[in-house]
Amino acid sequence: MTNEPPPVEPLVQVRDLRTWFPIREGLLRRTVGHVRAVDGVDFDILPGRTLALVGESGCGKTTVGRSMLRLTPATSGQVLYRGQDLLGLSERELWPFRRKMQMVFQDPMTSLNPRMRVRAILEEGLLAFGIGDTASERHERAAEALKRVQLHPDHLKRFPHEFSGGQRQRIGIARALSVEPELLICDEAVSALDVSIQAQVLNLLGELQAELGVAYLFITHDLSVVRHLGGDVAVMYLGRIVETGPTEAVFNGPLHPYTQGLLGSILSADPDAPRTRARVLGEVPSPANPPSGCHFHTRCPHAWAPCSALVPANLQRGLLRVRCHLHDPSVPQARTCD
Amino acid sequence: MSSLLSVQGLTTTFPIAGARVPVLREVSFQVEAGRCLALVGESGSGKSMTALSVLRLVPRPGRVEAGTVSLAGRDLMGLSVPEMRRVRGREVAMIFQEPMTSLNPVVSVGAQVVEAILLHEKVSAEAARARTVELFRRVGIPDPGARFQAFPHQLSGGLKQRVVIAMALALRPTVLLADEPTTALDVTVQAQILELLRELQAESKTAILLITHDFGVVNQLADEIAVMYAGRIVETGTRQDVLRAPSHPYTQGLLRALPGRAQTGERLQEIPGRMPQPADVPSGCPFAPRCPEALAACSDWEPRFSVLGTRRVACLRRPESPVGPTGGTA
Repeated sequence: MTNEPPPVEPLVQVRDLRTWFPIREGLLRRTVGHVRAVDGVDFDILPGRTLALVGESGCGKTTVGRSMLRLTPATSGQVLYRGQDLLGLSERELWPFRRKMQMVFQDPMTSLNPRMRVRAILEEGLLAFGIGDTASERHERAAEALKRVQLHPDHLKRFPHEFSGGQRQRIGIARALSVEPELLICDEAVSALDVSIQAQVLNLLGELQAELGVAYLFITHDLSVVRHLGGDVAVMYLGRIVETGPTEAVFNGPLHPYTQGLLGSILSADPDAPRTRARVLGEVPSPANPPSGCHFHTRCPHAWAPCSALVPANLQRGLLRVRCHLHDPSVPQARTCD
Repeated sequence: MSSLLSVQGLTTTFPIAGARVPVLREVSFQVEAGRCLALVGESGSGKSMTALSVLRLVPRPGRVEAGTVSLAGRDLMGLSVPEMRRVRGREVAMIFQEPMTSLNPVVSVGAQVVEAILLHEKVSAEAARARTVELFRRVGIPDPGARFQAFPHQLSGGLKQRVVIAMALALRPTVLLADEPTTALDVTVQAQILELLRELQAESKTAILLITHDFGVVNQLADEIAVMYAGRIVETGTRQDVLRAPSHPYTQGLLRALPGRAQTGERLQEIPGRMPQPADVPSGCPFAPRCPEALAACSDWEPRFSVLGTRRVACLRRPESPVGPTGGTA
């Protein structure tokens, strides 16, 4: 087939990533167990494309992002950046990769230094990575970065508190993009913003991706935002990815009962749609002591014997990959009665 | 006046740079028994300040400058402090966004509800305890007898919010004030709590004043909607009317900005600029500087409400109604 596009080399491949936090007890602070915040996670991020990592609080989605950047040390696994495993590198060897992977945080008030002017905030990254030979060149680049996020170069002289929440988030994005990364990890980057401001920032992120070809790992709990972003989605539950695939395909035909429940919990603003019924009962169990087998079996409407005994395999089903015994022909299927 | 809760011309001010600056301006609405009115708006719109003003809990140096709040025909603004305290909690109960702010961390959750009952009613401790366990069962707390002894930190966010709801309903209030009751919860838990509030309301005929920024939550619970902007109500109407065919340009903008409504990857409709701070609210229509339909006159004239059936809209660009100002109220 000559018409098929050549396969795209992934920008980042995460393989069997585990990040466990020790639980210490007693006088000697002996380790008595682990919180398995991330427990065997695999995914690829393609250049210039968006992967949304979605899940409820405590599912480990933030820890995945932090482990990829080595802000939180991973326990095992691989984070391959264009084939190079980042987890084994020394700080010095890692440095050039830090420039390539930047982060935007949820609350711009806590991620921007309140005592630095915007100019210093934007130039700090340039200095750290040796971008721009002269002070005036760095100043020019900082002004350029502000313009790119639709702020005025005059704003360089101001302090973070002089801006609104939406403007501060733009400054956070400008700072991250100023060092020309290939991947932007956005951790709940629009969650704290009001609807009208959130729309401005989402549009801006879309424009920047089209213009700069930067890839996004978009960590969020907001399913409407995920659907809007498009690209691919990975659904996390208690440290594992339970379902992943192109966003469109996952939203149109989710296979995992947890994904089905999550999508069923979206509150529509359409007055003619039937009101939402709670589809998933109970709450997320503690990641320090997750249920056996499939972590979701305690809340799953379809659970039967194998679900509490066996960890489901990662199966390819059409465009989706899913971890659920319902979709595994090698597991004896029981009739589920509702 | 037949409404259970009726608010007329509520104006609340704070001193800013030596002047009294209004944070609420002539806010009026009604809530009937067994109905839910949602006050919707973005941060800074004045929706929480409205709730605080109704309860006479505006923090100093703010104060309610004008307006009446009547509950079942009684003027709350004229009550003495002890009388008002009896109204709060007993007749008007509150649920806030973050359950930990309403719970005492060092008292078991059961004892906190019992205390609330004993404070307002002359019943035995035994009877209060039995009622608490029954309430816990009713709000869906599993194993309510054992959970009675639990401390707040031992419960998940969803269970804590259920305790707060149980406490709010313990004295069978006539009005429930719910300020972002599900915003801090996970989506699957949010759906459960909204379903619970809907069931409880159908049973008890409590009037709910729901305060939220989330049109999805509004659509789940509200019968009527009042949209707020810069300390004023700009549009009111039934849930179906407002969500199906928003009339005020701000309401239209808010609904078009929702990521759920656009196609994947399509640009969202933006509202340019941001909500003004109370001291910077422009003259005329406060939304005019951001409004795609604004005329020169919009900056000169403060819009009056036009009434279209059950709808009220404060916008110069919307035609004056033939019905007259008594036709429709929220």
